[in-house]
Amino acid sequence: MKKDILAVFGIILILAVLINGTHIQSVDEYYLTHIDDITPESETVTLSIRCDTVLQHYEDLDPALRSEEFVPPDGVILPPTEYVLREGDTVFDILDRAVRYNKIQMEFQGAAKSPFGSVYMQGIHYLYEFSCGPLSGWMYRVDGEFPHYGCSRYELHDGQNIEWIYTCDLGQDIGAPWMGGQGK
Amino acid sequence: MAKHLTAWLLCAVFLLVPFSYVAYAEEASDTPLSIAQGIIDWKKSDVDSSPNGYLLNDTFLTLAGSTAGDWYPIGLSRLGKADNYAGYLAVLREFVEERYRQPGKLSAAKATEWHRITLSVLAAGGDPTAFGTDENGRPINLIADGTYDRGKTTPLGRQGVNGWIWGLIALDTRRYAIPANAYYTRDAIITEILSEQLSDGGWALSGNVSDPNLTAMAVQSLAPYYADEKTYVYLRKSINTETKATVRESVDEALACLSVMQLADGDFKSWGTQNVESTDQVIIALCCLGIDPLTDARFIKNGHTLLDGVLCYRQSDGGFAHSFIFDPENPNALPGQSDSMAGEQTLLAMAALWRQQNGMRTLYDFRPEASAASNAQTVFSDADKRAVDSLPARLTTEQYVTVTALLDKLERSADFANKEAYRQKLTAAKEQIAKIRDEIDDLNAQIQEKLYPLESISLRDKQTVDAIVERYHALSDFDRTKIAHWEDVVKAKTQIEGLLRGLIIGVALGAVAILLTIFLICRICKKRRRKTKEMEELAAQFADEDEA
Repeated sequence: MKKDILAVFGIILILAVLINGTHIQSVDEYYLTHIDDITPESETVTLSIRCDTVLQHYEDLDPALRSEEFVPPDGVILPPTEYVLREGDTVFDILDRAVRYNKIQMEFQGAAKSPFGSVYMQGIHYLYEFSCGPLSGWMYRVDGEFPHYGCSRYELHDGQNIEWIYTCDLGQDIGAPWMGGQGK
Repeated sequence: MAKHLTAWLLCAVFLLVPFSYVAYAEEASDTPLSIAQGIIDWKKSDVDSSPNGYLLNDTFLTLAGSTAGDWYPIGLSRLGKADNYAGYLAVLREFVEERYRQPGKLSAAKATEWHRITLSVLAAGGDPTAFGTDENGRPINLIADGTYDRGKTTPLGRQGVNGWIWGLIALDTRRYAIPANAYYTRDAIITEILSEQLSDGGWALSGNVSDPNLTAMAVQSLAPYYADEKTYVYLRKSINTETKATVRESVDEALACLSVMQLADGDFKSWGTQNVESTDQVIIALCCLGIDPLTDARFIKNGHTLLDGVLCYRQSDGGFAHSFIFDPENPNALPGQSDSMAGEQTLLAMAALWRQQNGMRTLYDFRPEASAASNAQTVFSDADKRAVDSLPARLTTEQYVTVTALLDKLERSADFANKEAYRQKLTAAKEQIAKIRDEIDDLNAQIQEKLYPLESISLRDKQTVDAIVERYHALSDFDRTKIAHWEDVVKAKTQIEGLLRGLIIGVALGAVAILLTIFLICRICKKRRRKTKEMEELAAQFADEDEA
């Protein structure tokens, strides 16, 4: 009788474990595979990529890019998406991770080859600097402000909102303060 | 330069934070050559080259074909300095050939990539009209593709007026003739530049206030036509007026504009920041016109010449600072700290001055000098042989620059004993490194294509991930650093291992559960049988008792 109870208990236990899943990991493994999981405790930032200005300057766009494949009808390449902030992450790191996770094309000039000692963003989603006129290219904004330095030098904090926005007019069309020809 | 400028402009906000004015005093013994030497010595220490070594060392050669690299060899060569030009040319040629196998070639939008590379090819002693070969084996013509035929793919001015300006400079480096069936004529390019002249006489990438950098560059491009009597008829966009003018009239207006913009110390402000590069460009522009920048009254302010303006930015290490205020647009260039871009442009300005003072052709005029350099036969030296002998048995992409430069030198060198053996060794090494480079590229592409999104990695991907891991481990330590986001592969592998382990544990536990169930059923059956038997025995007993 005792043996039966033990056996029943054992079966119930095993079934419980099986239903619950048998994913067993060490602490290190758990940390590694869950590094980008968003939990109530994790620090996160939000990233979006947009090119709506191109829609207003379609006639300036490189004819080879005039297709919904490159310019989405609503101008949204990546809607605001939350990403876990890792220690020391810069604006570039988050963008780099986001485009990989979402398989978005990107090309940049590394810090060593750039004259500014920072990563220089050349193209995202096949839209490059000058793809839509001589004053076009990518700019980034953090919490509504256009920072004054390269994206691989801007270290992020919890809760910040990063927007990569394509400009067709040196930032004027996306609300960047513009100093063209001033300061003489 | 054109590119630097655009990069500045594309994020154009300037916060001016005053810093203490730490500049190096001007010395009586300063000459363009001594100032240039200071920059070269500073840059050598910046790339870990010895004072007697070449600036264009292996560290520097990895920058061939980039904005950060190409201007230094131009400056060095135009100053008549001996350096490792052959090595630079060899690596640059490989770079161009590789880029030509991609759809946008040197750049989809920026023609100035062709122009800068044209100048560095010429400076290093190469021929830009036949620089390497494309995938069909045809010689690459940087002049045709980057200037008069550029419009067949993308307008020369797609990136703005600087595309036209630098196109004209590249075209006139050797006064290249334009074939009759070309996309642009010379006059068309000149007219495009003239038509962008602003109402105040200068040029800017945008807006209607002139920028000294772009104005100086436009003057540099128009300088060869200054003495030309031809009248151009064009629509001057800034005033929306049909204009008839000679290049001289246009350039004179530009010089007046530059003179007005010059500051009290002799230097200039561009986009709100007082900086050395604008002053360098004005010096080059005046030299291109044959004007002496040190004595022309239009460019002396409070007794300060353009050279005084430049020297304000000199640092104690011989290099030059970008500005003496902090420029947030260029945070790499700190006030009181030598900066690479400031150094390279000052080097070019000093080369322009030195050439003028020695009666040589102007900075971007690469036609042969009256006293052409000798064409001594190249010798594959003992040091070169030692370099080949000491190549490691297991090559990595770290040796790419060394091997490319050595093989190129060997091919050009006079015959010597064992030349064929050295050629074979270097050719084999080059092929091996090319294979590793292909492997790295392919592995990076595989990771990018197969791994994402990481959440959907399942046991089905085990083979793919295992293959990637195996190929990664086959690479040398140096080459492994070229694999981007390796941590994602580790993550995927761990994820799969976890899934696999889960599966094994699940199966094992399932088996145990089944065994236990069978055990339980057997016991229940056994018990039932025993009970039946007992009942039967009991019934038999009762029957016996009844009978009795």
